[in-house]
Amino acid sequence: MQLQLQQLLPVYFEESRKASSEIWGKDLAFSKGEMIKIVAPSGSGKTSLMHFMYGMRKEYTGVVKYGDKNISQFNAEDFALHRSNHISIVFQDLRLFPEQTVLENLEIKRQLNPYHSKEKIQYMASRLGIGDKLQSKARICSYGEQQRVAIIRSLLQPFDFLLLDEPFSHLDNENSQKAMELMLEESRERNACIVFADLERIDYFPFTRLFHL
Amino acid sequence: MPLTYKTIKPLLLTGTNAASRWFSYIGLGIGVLLLLSSLQMFFNIQSLLKKTSIRKNGFDYVSVTKLITNDNMGQDNRFGPADVEELKQQPFIEDAAPLLSNKFEVVASGGEVIPISSDIFIEALDHSFIDTVPPSFTWSEGQMVVPVIFSSDFLEMYNVFAPSYGLSQVSTATAGNLSITLRCEGKLEQQTFRANIVAFSDRVNSVLVPASFLGWANKTLEGVDDTKASRVFIKTKDANSNDLLSFLEQKNYRVNKDKTAFGRSKQILQGIITGLGVFGILVIVLALMLFSFYLQLVIARSKDSLQLLLTLGYSPSWLSKNVARQFIPVYILVVLFALLLTQGMQWLFHHFVMYDRPELSSILHWSIMVIALLLIILSVITNFRMVRKLLYRLS
Repeated sequence: MQLQLQQLLPVYFEESRKASSEIWGKDLAFSKGEMIKIVAPSGSGKTSLMHFMYGMRKEYTGVVKYGDKNISQFNAEDFALHRSNHISIVFQDLRLFPEQTVLENLEIKRQLNPYHSKEKIQYMASRLGIGDKLQSKARICSYGEQQRVAIIRSLLQPFDFLLLDEPFSHLDNENSQKAMELMLEESRERNACIVFADLERIDYFPFTRLFHL
Repeated sequence: MPLTYKTIKPLLLTGTNAASRWFSYIGLGIGVLLLLSSLQMFFNIQSLLKKTSIRKNGFDYVSVTKLITNDNMGQDNRFGPADVEELKQQPFIEDAAPLLSNKFEVVASGGEVIPISSDIFIEALDHSFIDTVPPSFTWSEGQMVVPVIFSSDFLEMYNVFAPSYGLSQVSTATAGNLSITLRCEGKLEQQTFRANIVAFSDRVNSVLVPASFLGWANKTLEGVDDTKASRVFIKTKDANSNDLLSFLEQKNYRVNKDKTAFGRSKQILQGIITGLGVFGILVIVLALMLFSFYLQLVIARSKDSLQLLLTLGYSPSWLSKNVARQFIPVYILVVLFALLLTQGMQWLFHHFVMYDRPELSSILHWSIMVIALLLIILSVITNFRMVRKLLYRLS
């Protein structure tokens, strides 16, 4: 299974962007099992790219394909199926339910298409150092804690592609490494592809291909 | 573990703006109550007037005579076949039939129960114009018993004056068993028959005999084969229509409208009840609209959470079904409550207003239950479609 980008460019970017970018305006294919690192300075369209690949926004020219299907042809039900089976994401802005507890936030995702047991939530949370936060409301957790909740949430479903949009922006080096290890383990277990977009290169992500946005 | 709505439920902010929710519930309840009780009243009126109504299949049946004035007195003021045909041709008249009468003398005597004899008239009318025609209302030559359909009004009149003459009053049941003798005397012949009252008519003020008997008797006893009639019965959609009345006036015809009065009142009463029912439907529509505004508000307030659920991979149709399902028990309760109230009102109406009249029932008509069920289904479907539309808009 491949995730293909064909001549992709946000409608709000000028054509000249294609010349300076290794992604915009190019034909690319990401395959399962690959580790893709995208280095992108602020304002280069990193979050836009992630949202386009996840099918959340459509303000682009070009094509995003999952397998042989153009995702712009998907309807709301197709996206629901796609997002609960084939693609997962860690948003830069986290997107948790602030009034729900950490456990409820994770359970809402897990029950959608349970890949792990409920007990695994406790295991993952302890591993990332938020084991004692499961009963706390998400809004009273620190940004770093919320980011770890968002990371665990992305790992509770089956997926072929895991999209990471600056997943460690609020984490220290040690916690980032722990989270990375967990994500790598989970991806290998599924033979999934990680597409990791960040401001700079991170040494502990063993990418197989590197792109500059 | 199957997907459960329990974890999602707290994300829907239903607690906000409870007043608008309660207004819509109460509105829906009132609308359903109005609709159901109007329908039940409609059925009540149908049952109450079924026996006495002179309207049949939605038509008025009225008799028409020519207006007798000082100018035309002494002339032949009867309707000929051409007059009847002209009446039939009018667009506001469905059908017309002459009331043929006897051309010979008829003297009736009532036997032991009514020991009097009197000159009477007999008439014949097409069966489709008579409200009560039993199968026994036939006569063939040689038959000595003549079946008679008697006007209910005539019987009532007899019962009014009978005591003053020392005669006994007669019930409809007894009248059917009376031994009446009809002595028919014409220019050519005289014969005596036994008459048997086989039915009473609320519509036709006459003593009706089968047309076969009257035709035979006129010809055999009097030697006349006259088809002219003093009265014509007409069948019309509305005996009070302007077209009909102006036509009759122009022709110098007179219509006997007394008989239509009851039908009119019933029609007016049904009109009012129908109006109430329509008002009930309007209230239901209004309540459903109010509820849809409330739902829009709930969904708008919960927009962020619902949008995030859709982003995470929740199916909009699954979410719509589950969000809409939350309100089903409320709809069922509201309609059931209105149904129970209607049942209570029907019981009170039957018991205290109609004094348990046998034509009515204390239990609601079955179609009221069906309507209530349909209303529940309608509310649930409207609700589901509304939620689904709003959620698809979010995704």
